[in-house]
Amino acid sequence: MIDTAYTAPQEVARLQRAALIVGIVGLLALGAGAFFEPLQFWRSYLVGYLLWAGIAIGALALLMLQHLTGGGWGLVIRRVLEAATRTLPLMLVLFIPILLGAHSIYSWTNAEVIAAHPALQEKVRYLNLTFFSVRAVIVFAIWLLLAFFLNRWSRQQDLTGDRALAKKMRVLSGPGMVLFVFTVTVAAIDWVMSLDPEWSSTIFGLLFVAAWSLSALAFSIALTAWLTKREPMAHVVAALHFHDLGKLLLALVMLWAYFSYSQFLIIWSGNLPEEIRWYLPRTHGTWGVIALVVVILHFALPFLFLLSRRFKRDPHKLVLVAVLILIMRYVDLLWVVAPNFPGTGFHLSWMDLVAPIGFGGVWLAAFSRQLRSRPLMPLNDPQLPSVLEQAHEHHESEDFIEEASA
Amino acid sequence: MADEHQSDAPHHTTVPVIDPGLTFASVTDKISSIVLKRKTPLAWFIGFAISFILFQLMMLAITNLVFVGIGLWGVNVPVAWGIDILNFVWWIGIGHAGTLISAILLLLRQQWRTSINRFAEAMTLFAVAQAGMYPIFHLGRPWLAYWLFPYPNTMGVWPQFRSPLMWDVFAVSTYATVSAMFWFVGLIPDFATLRDRAQSKPFQIIYGWFAMGWRGSARHWHRYEMAYLLLAGLATPLVLSVHTIVSFDFAAGIIPGWHATIFPPYFVAGAIYAGFAMVLFLTIPLRKFYGLEGFITMRHVHNMAKVMLATGLIVGYGYVVEAFFGWYSGNKYERYMIWNRMHGPYAVYYWALILCNIITPQFLWIKKVRSNLLLLWLISIVVSIGMWLERFVIVVTSLHRDFLPSSWGMYQPTQWDWAMFVGTLGFFFSLLFLFIRFLPMISIFEMRTILPEAEVEE
Repeated sequence: MIDTAYTAPQEVARLQRAALIVGIVGLLALGAGAFFEPLQFWRSYLVGYLLWAGIAIGALALLMLQHLTGGGWGLVIRRVLEAATRTLPLMLVLFIPILLGAHSIYSWTNAEVIAAHPALQEKVRYLNLTFFSVRAVIVFAIWLLLAFFLNRWSRQQDLTGDRALAKKMRVLSGPGMVLFVFTVTVAAIDWVMSLDPEWSSTIFGLLFVAAWSLSALAFSIALTAWLTKREPMAHVVAALHFHDLGKLLLALVMLWAYFSYSQFLIIWSGNLPEEIRWYLPRTHGTWGVIALVVVILHFALPFLFLLSRRFKRDPHKLVLVAVLILIMRYVDLLWVVAPNFPGTGFHLSWMDLVAPIGFGGVWLAAFSRQLRSRPLMPLNDPQLPSVLEQAHEHHESEDFIEEASA
Repeated sequence: MADEHQSDAPHHTTVPVIDPGLTFASVTDKISSIVLKRKTPLAWFIGFAISFILFQLMMLAITNLVFVGIGLWGVNVPVAWGIDILNFVWWIGIGHAGTLISAILLLLRQQWRTSINRFAEAMTLFAVAQAGMYPIFHLGRPWLAYWLFPYPNTMGVWPQFRSPLMWDVFAVSTYATVSAMFWFVGLIPDFATLRDRAQSKPFQIIYGWFAMGWRGSARHWHRYEMAYLLLAGLATPLVLSVHTIVSFDFAAGIIPGWHATIFPPYFVAGAIYAGFAMVLFLTIPLRKFYGLEGFITMRHVHNMAKVMLATGLIVGYGYVVEAFFGWYSGNKYERYMIWNRMHGPYAVYYWALILCNIITPQFLWIKKVRSNLLLLWLISIVVSIGMWLERFVIVVTSLHRDFLPSSWGMYQPTQWDWAMFVGTLGFFFSLLFLFIRFLPMISIFEMRTILPEAEVEE
């Protein structure tokens, strides 16, 4: 029988415990690294943080998108997205070390550097630690507020089934999307672009909107595929949902590649000294090889696989691409962030491995805890009956096909 | 991404896609009678006459231009690209809505596209025809335009493939070809319907010729559906690529105001924005005049308004980001470019653009405005003007003051610039009037597929 309460399976609790242990060990090891190589510590911390914060932040965009467009694909991952957005307070806490360590991360906090670069003196009104902190607070406040209301109304919908709530969430999501794009732009400029304070690119904000949404979708697909192996989701999520999710994944992969390539082509073509300097270290030597790897594994390979209909409909295969994209999101972030840190040239440290695992463990533990706290499907969403009916019909026809072919 | 059952049901339960009272027969009758039976209304003749006169103005302007040379236009150093190039970008942008509606919405299984795709595709084709003329006549010696193509010759002339202007040649010609094929293939079953229903011999022969022997057999339909989907797949990347390459025409250079990495998505969004404004501008009077409210319902109007709002917001984001980065770059030329746009001699264009393109569409958040046809029609005009101003600001204000103040200059379009622009409007509307009169402006066979009668019990 289908469990109408949609309680999360036991495995989520197990995941939470395991992730917490891995996460704490990882972060402790990373913290120990701070005493040996402080600069490397900050580099690894920032990249690890951005990877997992990106999933939580991107989940907010997808959550609002599914409220705006509707559709079964949104309903089956809605609770995963909501749980991811409820980890934002944790990501705020983990951001505090970045504020405290800003002097070691961002060269524009250093008065001597500013004195030596006339171009930087022009923008101290924006690039100063006070305003930087104020912006971070505002940006987080907006994300937290959006996440708070969307989660709260969704919870109320479970309890009361009030039909006005679906509309409320939709109405908030329109302006919410606008706020989201602007706040992510500010975050991308502040946290990443200002690592090279003299360099700027107007598409950088959109690049992060696409990249973080892609991270969140890849994670949601991987987790939903895992949940679908078990009850209660095994009876809810059907191949057609993975098909739609796969299409959206393909669209976001292409969007990310489109933004990245546009930025590269325009800067390469202009070849201005103040712009091309960002690409030169990233396209030569080992970083250049990594750039090629990003092109192939972050775009070409997922693109080719996701073109196939059969591939998108099979969760066992789709999950492979989703995990590949998540790994490549990390490689891409490393490629964007690391060359800005002094100690020129290519080098990797054990901390570059420990940081994403440590952050991932802590984040996954928080996420699992949030996921368990609510039913895995929105119980009283007006769309739910039609989605369940579709899934039911779909499962029956699949069984029928399997029997016929056997 | 969204399945029609899922995406449409919850939001629009009250507003159906088309009038629920329609049947197979009444759909065919209603649409084909505009072409075959009904008397051509007087207003059609008046509208066509005005458009045709303006079209003749274009012919005059072009003849004069070819004889005298492009000194007839206001373009000169430093503003070597004037409103001719801006009109090229404007027209080609308008075309994008048609391709988006016909290709992308088809692949996304959005049923509401069916009522407007034929019309929007025609608009695309006619707009691309206008756009294509400008760069060719801008060459100065349009009879040598074929030099743009890479072909073996004894002159040693070979195109510069690193130049986006060269990519434009291929992008636009591909776009025109695919759009024309898509439109024509979509028309074949309807040509057959018109052939079968036409009363006079000449029309039977002409429509029959275009119908290419269509008999509507199961095999025909099978092949047809396949071909149509393949063409949709081919046309989809064009929605992005054409205007992306148009944006590279500017962004690949290093002029402040042109060289910005945000240009590709910003241009594409602007194109779709302008295109939907044009579709609304044309369909609102048409549906009323020909009584097509049952086909092009408020549902369509709402959706088009929403697409306009969304793309308008992306364009607005582009302005904010451009202004911010002008300052943030710390580069004095970039900063001056933004200052010059806001306070320079062309500042009035900039502020008019902000008013038209950013402030006006914000009214579309309000459902009452989206339901008010007159207001919506006015907004679509304002947006069309706004998008024209946007290209003016990008093309002219960036060029007229770039680096050295000694090489600054002003630009003033001449009467011949305007004659050409007004003339292409005339040509565009002439083609549209002919289309409305002689071809079914709504796809008859596709409308029949979304009727309740078409649902098959398995």
